[in-house]
Amino acid sequence: MIRFWNRRLKSSILTENPELDEKIQTIRKNIKSEVKKKFAGSLAIRMVDSGSCNACEAECNALSNPYYDLERLGIYFVASPRHADIMLLSGLMTFNMAPHVLDAYRQIPNPKWVVILGDCPMMQAPFEKTFAIETTAKSEIPIAHHIPGCPPSPKEIIEGLLEFLQKI
Amino acid sequence: MRRLIARYAKECSTHLEVITVWDDEMEKEELPHDKPHIKTISHSHPAAIWFERKMHDDFGIVVEGAFDNRPLVAHERFLAKLHPMRKSFTKTSVEYADYRPYKYETVRGDGVFEVAVGPIHAGIIEPGHFHFSQAGEDILHQEVRHFYKYRAIEKMVEGKTLAQAKPIIERISGNETIAYQIALRDIMLQAANTELPESNRKYHAMLLELERTIHHLTDLGFIPNDAGFGAALSVASRFSEDARRQMHSLTGHRFGFGAIDFSSHQIDPGAMNGYIDTLEESLDFFEKWIVDIPSLWDRFDTTGILDSKKAIQYDTVGVVARASGVEIDRREERFYKEHGFEMAIQHGCDVAARFKIRLKEAKNSAKMMRNFLTKECETVKIEEIEDGEYFAYSESSIGELFMNIEIRDGVIERFFARDPSFINWQALHLMMPDNIIADFPLINKSCDLSYAGNDL
Ligand code: SF4
Repeated sequence: MIRFWNRRLKSSILTENPELDEKIQTIRKNIKSEVKKKFAGSLAIRMVDSGSCNACEAECNALSNPYYDLERLGIYFVASPRHADIMLLSGLMTFNMAPHVLDAYRQIPNPKWVVILGDCPMMQAPFEKTFAIETTAKSEIPIAHHIPGCPPSPKEIIEGLLEFLQKI
Repeated sequence: MRRLIARYAKECSTHLEVITVWDDEMEKEELPHDKPHIKTISHSHPAAIWFERKMHDDFGIVVEGAFDNRPLVAHERFLAKLHPMRKSFTKTSVEYADYRPYKYETVRGDGVFEVAVGPIHAGIIEPGHFHFSQAGEDILHQEVRHFYKYRAIEKMVEGKTLAQAKPIIERISGNETIAYQIALRDIMLQAANTELPESNRKYHAMLLELERTIHHLTDLGFIPNDAGFGAALSVASRFSEDARRQMHSLTGHRFGFGAIDFSSHQIDPGAMNGYIDTLEESLDFFEKWIVDIPSLWDRFDTTGILDSKKAIQYDTVGVVARASGVEIDRREERFYKEHGFEMAIQHGCDVAARFKIRLKEAKNSAKMMRNFLTKECETVKIEEIEDGEYFAYSESSIGELFMNIEIRDGVIERFFARDPSFINWQALHLMMPDNIIADFPLINKSCDLSYAGNDL
């Protein structure tokens, strides 16, 4: 462990994009008081993959690495839809997953929002419709916001989430 | 014993064909269109069972003597007897059918209970279902059930040219995209009767090693994290982000989508060499630090054992096989050996062994990347694509990937890919007995298999 602390003391803070900190400060101030009350200053996300290639998930995992450290913005991923404010949905809506996604959506307490991640849920990735894919996520559940990209980079995901916060 | 690589069917105009790919030969069996039957090989090669169940779902081929006849891809709400891989099936949407319950494999007895996990899991992971039979904390049996992400990629690419199918094939499994692109590249080269210049080959191989580095670094953080040692994740996730950024600066994409092509471009060896220096230094620090945490190794050692006999019997590949002492790696050939490839082998058969393999391979990848470094790629002209049946292999970060494409009239007649995960998932349950359910995430992560590549 000594080795670790030696190195730790040598490396400075890695977290990037301090401009986002400022942005969230302004957003926090501007968010309507009602929403502020509902979210209690933090946003809990339940990530659901309905048929992705896993790159969108990998970028969400990257949000927790020291460069992005998403939790410092008060946004964090939770283990159950019942703890969530929003569902972050990635991937194609497959025939086999669609009923389970709807199930998870129903479990999220009101008020709730769905943010879709990447090009897949809008059928904008290079995949074509087959019998094993339901149509776009949009036709299954109400969508509050879309973060495009294939996959969107961690920075784009953070920016997208902030945009969403500004919108509601 | 012969190693089973894949077993799958295709429809020809006059008959159905079942192809069984072994490590030393390929067998073809012709079946009639009507009432096709084959004999199972799952008694000697248990991993054949998913292939055979899939064949039944896809083509309606009846497998005689199989110990498991349940549907695999067709879940509860699929119409029975859909057989979508038949050429006569052309629908692009189907209705939900009445719910047909799936009978899980369970162990019964006094006080034995079942735990159903998934398809949606607690973390940021892909969907799949794990069904446990428990005696208290102890796992008696586990069934792995997948294909929630089934997108019917095999059907999706039929009728397309190789170039049209490329963006789809490179998105089958995001973590293995370079491996898929290299397999497809080899098929394109065969079909166009063209050779790849040495420098291009080296550049592509370097990208494949970089992809492996990203994947291994990610796991080197997540495996200890699943044993409650979060500091390793903070450290290793930084390294994997560095590697991903290197992928971006080389290919313009953080995962390398579209990176394997036939166009010419320049590479800056200075920047890449600088990155490899940092990587080697990081890995060196990480290794010295992590071997010194005894409480972590207490959790790793003897957890999730897959003994070599079983690893061979189940035809496992990749990291899982090599951690159980089985020497299988598609890079075991002249070109790779000349550039510094060394087979990583461990005999511990447990989580610790799989962790050590990843560390060793990441270090070997760094060395190989240096040897693969070139200044430029040349343009390769892909002109006439000849009809025919083509096969390719590559070694993804998970293990051996197999791809078969048949081209007729210039377009894909049949596409088949066997992700390394498809084989290895079937061996996961063997690692469970004698472990407690709380160690399941740790064992699962140590194998880090793909759901998307498996489900297709
Ligand atoms: S949007 Fe792109 S990166 Fe994301 S899951 Fe779909 S194919 Fe993968």
